[in-house]
Amino acid sequence: MAPRICGTSTTLASLDASLQTCSRLAAHTTRSFSLTCRNEKITKNRYEMVKWIKERATNSFDKSHPTYLGPHADQPFPSNPLFRSQSVLSESMKNRIYTQVMDHGVAMKAVSEEMQVDVRRVAAVVRLKELEHQWKLEGKKFATPYAKAVMKMLPQSRWAQGDMNIPHEPINDIPVHKLSMQQLFVPVSESRHFTREDAAKAFHEGLLSADKRSPQRELIEIERQAAEKDGDRAKSIEEFRKEAQEAEEAYANELARKSELEDANIKKQQKGRFEFRIKRYNSENVGKYGRARNVTGWRYGQALQERKRGMVKIPTSVP
Amino acid sequence: MVVKIRLARFGRRNSPFYNIVVAHARTARNSKPIEVIGTYDPIPKADPYGNPKELHKDINLDVDRARYWVGVGAQPTDTAWRILSMASVLPKKMVGLQREKPLKPIDANSVKIH
Repeated sequence: MAPRICGTSTTLASLDASLQTCSRLAAHTTRSFSLTCRNEKITKNRYEMVKWIKERATNSFDKSHPTYLGPHADQPFPSNPLFRSQSVLSESMKNRIYTQVMDHGVAMKAVSEEMQVDVRRVAAVVRLKELEHQWKLEGKKFATPYAKAVMKMLPQSRWAQGDMNIPHEPINDIPVHKLSMQQLFVPVSESRHFTREDAAKAFHEGLLSADKRSPQRELIEIERQAAEKDGDRAKSIEEFRKEAQEAEEAYANELARKSELEDANIKKQQKGRFEFRIKRYNSENVGKYGRARNVTGWRYGQALQERKRGMVKIPTSVP
Repeated sequence: MVVKIRLARFGRRNSPFYNIVVAHARTARNSKPIEVIGTYDPIPKADPYGNPKELHKDINLDVDRARYWVGVGAQPTDTAWRILSMASVLPKKMVGLQREKPLKPIDANSVKIH
């Protein structure tokens, strides 16, 4: 049977012929109004969607935690099972980290241990909160409703004192080193005890072992001590906190001493709207040819490289 | 030739930066000086973590060399004088137009009119 065109009784062959003879007429015939009747029954997909809305979604839009469409609780995109949403620090957790570190002067390592957050994340939270305070002082506007909306859409880690909290991140994660990405076949005698140190050596002479590359070595050590026969977790935690506090205080003192030394070299004078800071320095330390890199002042007879192509201007350190 | 202590303007458009230099008076502003004794950054800055409304300007100065050059007769320009006086190399000097002090109202009893 020849295939039928909706609304017409012509065959495809005759249609083809008419296309060649008169394109305007052909366009008219192919663009004819569809006379197929509407499907009375809804499709399966639509039925499931309606069912889902009735069952799950009606009351969940104004909850504080997100409801994802995916089959798993942490899968935001239903057809992408590889994308799993990871929880972020809740606002209360961030506030507590900041107050512990800045107001109570608790060592960052100790806060990290207590709240089970990576110490680098603790440092980042403190820095960002500090920036937020700075912005408040500057009178900048905050996109608070936006931030709240975004936080609503993400799963959040929560922490309460004294509870058995779920750790925000595991302590035994290590960054993957480029040298350890290769596939190696190392013949080893059966009697030999092949340790992590040996594995690192096999990859590269200079590569540290996984134990040493971990950013949270002390926390792992606590766990190791607790797992021993007569290990006391509480005692080792206390020891760790004490050591962290001492180390941080020593570091803070050293920083204070350095800045004091620097301040002694600077004479401050308030004049009108601005303070003038006069720093003494030795203008004779200019290197062999008078062009040392860290010398004060614009240099003569040497082109500035800052406009050169490919010069990276992203700062590598923070003040 | 007169030796001067003066500023040499470097930096970019709208972001000046000055070297405090010792140079012969007749040489060009940015020519190679006898000596660079300091810098002056005239753009006010806030401390990175301090109050953003409290601004400061940075001056780097080799005070000993400045003293030496003043001692051997180098003549600071007005601006250089102001900077050197802040570093207490030189006494303070009133520079520029001085505002006249308004006269006090005359007490009629203390004035004799012949």
